Amino acid sequence: MTLDPRTKLLLSVFYVILVVFSYELLPLLFEWVFILLLILIAGKTKEHLRWFKAVAPMAIFFGAVVWWSSDGKSAFIAGFKLVNIASVFFAFFTSTSPEDLGNALVKAGMPYPVAFVMSVSLQFVPVMARKAGNVLDAQRSRGIPIGPGLKAVRYFHVLLVPVLIQSIRLAEELAEAMESRGFGRPGRTFLKDYKMRPADWIAVFTGMLLLAAFFLLRQS
Amino acid sequence: MHYSHTIKISSLKYSYREETAFPVLNGIDLTSGENEYILLCGASGSGKSTLCRTFNGLIPHFYGGSLEGYVRIAGVDTTIRTVGDMLELVGMVFQNPEAQLFCSTVEHEIAFGLESLGLAPSEIKSRVKRAAEKLSIADLLHRNPHTLSDGEKQLVAIAAATALSPKLIVLDEPYANLDPSNVQGVRCALKEIRRQGVCIVIAEHRLHYTLPDVDRVAVIHNGRIVIDTPPALLLPRYVKEYGLEFPLYGPREEKIEIPGPPPGAETVLSVENISFSRNGTSLLKDISFTLRKGECIAVLGANGAGKTTLLKHINGLYRPDKGKITLMELDTSQKKIPELARYAGIAFQNPDSQFFKLNVRDEISAGADALNCYDEKWINSLVDLFGLEKLLKRAPYRLSGGEKKRVAFASALAAKPAVLALDEPTAGQDARFRSALSGFLSELTAEGIAVLLVTHDLLFAKQNAHRFLLMAKGKIISEGTPGKVISDKTAMRLAGLLPAERMKDDA
Repeated sequence: MTLDPRTKLLLSVFYVILVVFSYELLPLLFEWVFILLLILIAGKTKEHLRWFKAVAPMAIFFGAVVWWSSDGKSAFIAGFKLVNIASVFFAFFTSTSPEDLGNALVKAGMPYPVAFVMSVSLQFVPVMARKAGNVLDAQRSRGIPIGPGLKAVRYFHVLLVPVLIQSIRLAEELAEAMESRGFGRPGRTFLKDYKMRPADWIAVFTGMLLLAAFFLLRQS
Repeated sequence: MHYSHTIKISSLKYSYREETAFPVLNGIDLTSGENEYILLCGASGSGKSTLCRTFNGLIPHFYGGSLEGYVRIAGVDTTIRTVGDMLELVGMVFQNPEAQLFCSTVEHEIAFGLESLGLAPSEIKSRVKRAAEKLSIADLLHRNPHTLSDGEKQLVAIAAATALSPKLIVLDEPYANLDPSNVQGVRCALKEIRRQGVCIVIAEHRLHYTLPDVDRVAVIHNGRIVIDTPPALLLPRYVKEYGLEFPLYGPREEKIEIPGPPPGAETVLSVENISFSRNGTSLLKDISFTLRKGECIAVLGANGAGKTTLLKHINGLYRPDKGKITLMELDTSQKKIPELARYAGIAFQNPDSQFFKLNVRDEISAGADALNCYDEKWINSLVDLFGLEKLLKRAPYRLSGGEKKRVAFASALAAKPAVLALDEPTAGQDARFRSALSGFLSELTAEGIAVLLVTHDLLFAKQNAHRFLLMAKGKIISEGTPGKVISDKTAMRLAGLLPAERMKDDA
């Protein structure tokens, strides 16, 4: 049985707070191992590795910026924090479908159109990436030197204009399809019933206790 | 509510903008009984899609514009009720499989309409299951729609509509982007829905896929229904008059073998034993062929057979892992893309992927400008060939689908390449466009340009190509003259290109 998306969201927020307020290496390491264990249990280690590879350069860059303004240790901690937060993002998004997140937020009081737009945007990130790839291919086939390198800046509109026009068109077509499937109709229900079960309350409560304990210990 | 016709449309007139003098729909009358399967056909721009959008009230509620007359579906006037109100009566399926699915799983996708109705979760679940089982897509329920094939996406869109048990299902060019085996799948699904007593309206150009299935054909021309007849009575002369697809009941097409270039014609492109893989998946395996000056080769195969991947190798967009490609005596592995783009022009399937200039003229010459080989005379001759004189000052992305394609072809040819490659040039195009394209191709090959035609449109390939390369799963499984490849039934089946209905008997 899985937790309610709201529980997962709340726990993720707790975790991020915890990471932000951890200034030493040991607690950060402990937190990271905890998340890695969760990912291991969920059987998503391979995907996480790919995610980690994408995040690592960002963490290094972030660390470098901090190093430049202060010292090496803070730099390492800052980079590590970023990796930590990225990992919890990964854990959250791989275990929660965009609909679940959106619908749960609606149950928590967010207006449906807002939640829906959020979840649909997430769906279309890969679609737009593919379209951008097609634009690159089409332009390079015509001999327009767009691609890695300095020249790319000069030709940036060559990529941007077709992508923008296509996303506007896609949005129009989608709007029509959604309308045809009753998007605007009042009285919407959900396929899944979102309910906070005892396990959810226990998880949230435990999370709060741990967070409180962390801050109390830090005070002393 | 009591009603006698599932569809009752009476003197319907519509224009998208109030001020236009020529309405898109100009006096449509159409009625249907409970369980009819109706084909709407007509050239591009005749008003098919517009008519489709009146069935559930997208027109006028979503599009605005001015409308006269009425559209009643199961007794409900769509011009008065909202699109949401029509949900239980009319299911819509659109042309673009990508732009009508927006959930993270097929299950959520099918459930969306039921959720809109406000049904209880248990009821939604059981109806989703039933709808999926009826179309044999129950095994896809937990997949992400964007990872499915285009045919599967269309089935999901159909299931999402049928789950609501509507009285009428309207499909706007559902086959436009599908390869033959996917078309077969959707056709079967529609027949199944039909058996359950649902009325179906399908707008399509591809008559050979639809005529055998339907009860009635309504031909739209200039916003009016000019013919309304059982399919068997659709006369050949209408076909020409109203820009429909190829003659269907005319004398059987004689076996055309188009004479290729003379045997001594020089080789412009030679592909030797190339293999290519990406992310551990092998996409091309040991492909070899040569293309000669003035020759037209059709690369045929189902979606996903590796046709476009192969295409991207000829100008270096992809580099083979093994093997060698020689373009105009240049070893492509030694050259950069812009150098190769001089000799090979590619027009990809979607022209919107390349338009960025404000007018057609600049758009056509953009590539030639970037390559520093702008030749005014040549560009003018392209404008002539593709009939673009009147469009030169228009914005490219505002043109119709067929006009966009012509601009894209001209721009692929702007640098006067030796090889022109076209990726699915006929997808979603009407008969007029297809016959015009045949004309362009024969003029280009006569000028010595070599053409690589990538397509799953067997009819078109047969009319234009000198040679066929049949691909399946990244391999060439048969090649030779069109007649030879088509008669290789094992290979054709393997490639998912079951011969179209009317080609079956002469193959």
